Amino acid sequence: MQTTGLHKLIELINLTESTYILRIEKKDMQFEAGQHILLGKADDNDQREYSIYSGTNDEYLEVLIKEVVDGSVSIHLKNLNPGDLLKVEGPLGFFGLSKDKIESGKFLFIASGTGIAPFHSMVKSNPNLNYKILHGIRTCNEDYGKEDYNSDRYIRCTSRENGCDFEGRVTDYIRQNDFDNDTICYFCGNFKMIKEAMDLLENKGIPGSQLHAEVYF
Amino acid sequence: MSKKIAFKTLGCRLNLFETDSIASEFSKNNYQIVDFSDKADIYVINTCTVTSMSDQKSRRVINQAARRKKDGITIVTGCMATNYKEKLQDNENIDYVVDNDHKTSVVSIAEAHFNGEIVNDEQFQRDLFKYEPAKDTFHTRSFIKIQDGCDNFCTFCIIPKVRGRASSRPVEDVLNNIRKVVEYGYKEVIITGVNIGRYNHEGTNFEGLIEKMIEIPGDFRIRISSIEPDGYSESFFRLFKHAKLAPHMHICLQSGSEEILLKMRRMYTAKLFKEMALKLDEMYPGFSLTTDVIVGFPGETEEHFQETVEMAMSIGFGHIHTFKYSVRKGTRAERLPDHLDEREKTRRGEIIRVLSDETRLNHRKSFIGRTQRVLVQIILENGYARGFGEHYIPVIIEKQNLDTNKFYDVDIVAINENDEPTLIGKIRN
Ligand SMILES: Cc1cc2nc3c(=O)[nH]c(=O)nc-3n(C[C@H](O)[C@H](O)[C@H](O)COP(=O)(O)OP(=O)(O)OC[C@H]3O[C@@H](n4cnc5c(N)ncnc54)[C@H](O)[C@@H]3O)c2cc1C
Repeated sequence: MQTTGLHKLIELINLTESTYILRIEKKDMQFEAGQHILLGKADDNDQREYSIYSGTNDEYLEVLIKEVVDGSVSIHLKNLNPGDLLKVEGPLGFFGLSKDKIESGKFLFIASGTGIAPFHSMVKSNPNLNYKILHGIRTCNEDYGKEDYNSDRYIRCTSRENGCDFEGRVTDYIRQNDFDNDTICYFCGNFKMIKEAMDLLENKGIPGSQLHAEVYF
Repeated sequence: MSKKIAFKTLGCRLNLFETDSIASEFSKNNYQIVDFSDKADIYVINTCTVTSMSDQKSRRVINQAARRKKDGITIVTGCMATNYKEKLQDNENIDYVVDNDHKTSVVSIAEAHFNGEIVNDEQFQRDLFKYEPAKDTFHTRSFIKIQDGCDNFCTFCIIPKVRGRASSRPVEDVLNNIRKVVEYGYKEVIITGVNIGRYNHEGTNFEGLIEKMIEIPGDFRIRISSIEPDGYSESFFRLFKHAKLAPHMHICLQSGSEEILLKMRRMYTAKLFKEMALKLDEMYPGFSLTTDVIVGFPGETEEHFQETVEMAMSIGFGHIHTFKYSVRKGTRAERLPDHLDEREKTRRGEIIRVLSDETRLNHRKSFIGRTQRVLVQIILENGYARGFGEHYIPVIIEKQNLDTNKFYDVDIVAINENDEPTLIGKIRN
């Protein structure tokens, strides 16, 4: 059931200089992991889409936001204080795990930057999920929510720093590794990464019907 | 003396359905429906805002009504009315602006006005489906609204803003609507909505709904009209085996480039689209597949565009409705870099239009030697009958004294290769 309303900000958690989590009142919003909301300041007409970062059973809603310096909404949301009101509409979207695959499916989640958000929600909402995450980030400290993943299921692919899991882009990782053809792949974040990664996996034999994308920009 | 009312509808089939229903209500209340170019007491304009061109057309029609109305009133409703409500409320040529959520209140607003009351659309209950089945419409086929709104949020599209979130009409209401119009004598029903493939009411999805529709008894057929390619199963395709379901869909491709489809946030790949088209043609040779294409989306290079051209050629669409990309305020695409200049968009649009003419002609020619079940819509000056076959291709039946609104089985013997290539048929013996 979709709702539109004002939700209070519970907490703003800074993860890096530019990336933060907004923890918001959930009210009675029910959603499926992978869905997003439309979010904006209560007194502002501009709203943007944000994937829900928290799990379906959490008592609050969380979103993970990267501040875009020349953007208009992400920068303002960062200046909010607990108790401030946010305009929230949702849940929206179809970027979810198909219900009949959750138990038995083998999932590969490929994210760039804050594109990890829907996968965080999927993992938190389904503790027995058989998944692997490839997280494309620039530096190791962008490994948002690392503690919530099983360490051998979460691979940081860093493009500008050595010393965490894999040095290079997610696409380099895909090139250098094999994947079973029955893997169900989800991509989220920047469209260039998504396009390249989809092509690579399709060339490795994963059918197009098993590739699902959520493009942020 | 009864009041005169004139209607103008711009844009999609959903608007046509809604105008038909509203007009039918006025007619029941003893209003006389006149042509939009005639003098009327009320002008109702059901607007569209899908492109900047639609906005321009809507504005032009509002001005035409203003020039004609004298003591009458102008009621503006539809998507443009919703998108620019406040601005239009300040326009002195317009008496009432009614947004989509309250469109069914147009009759009450007009009645109140002539009783000396000035009311506001928001005083009425929001209702997306309170449209009565129309008995006398402006068309020979009946539109059936099953759904409204869209949650897809394609980056170019303003529709989620003006039509709101997806909402499905209860199954029984849809089925009753069809039963009613079949009882009125309609022989073809056209399923309409904003994103009909996402129909879901209490567990019945689009496929389930169509399954129920084809079980309704009567001599009529069902046409699916415009639908998004959001992944259909083979069981859905098998439904087309049923004689009631016309072998035609307008499935919106928008681009043949995987990269542009991702930027548009469409939920399919060009490759999957093509597989689906081939599958349909393999199961039902000649299946009529028509489509929409947007040219000049931000960042569309010549290479991306050529991918669309190649795709269109290889699928051989029955028709391509070409749109030049047009910025809609507040959409994600508005904020994308690399917007193309108008001349380039026009050039690309022209290439697709020429290609569409070619593929349409080839598709239609492939029906020579086949049969069609033609629903006659009009009798031409020479006494021959014209209508549409199940593939939504126009057919002229070379025989006199046929009846309109009746099905005839015809053998296709030739084609008229004019601007609108038309099949020529002879009644089957
Ligand atoms: C379905 C969906 C879900 C989304 N979920 C998230 C999310 O969970 N977290 C999140 O941070 N963003 C998310 N986004 C992007 C988000 O909606 C905004 O676009 C982003 O926050 C920037 O907004 P803005 O108004 O500040 O700038 P905008 O004017 O919207 O964007 C300015 C430019 O910033 C760039 N940009 C946009 N998003 C990002 C980003 N995430 N990282 C780096 N650069 C970016 C693009 O080049 C864009 O053209 C999502 C987008 C979609 C469509």
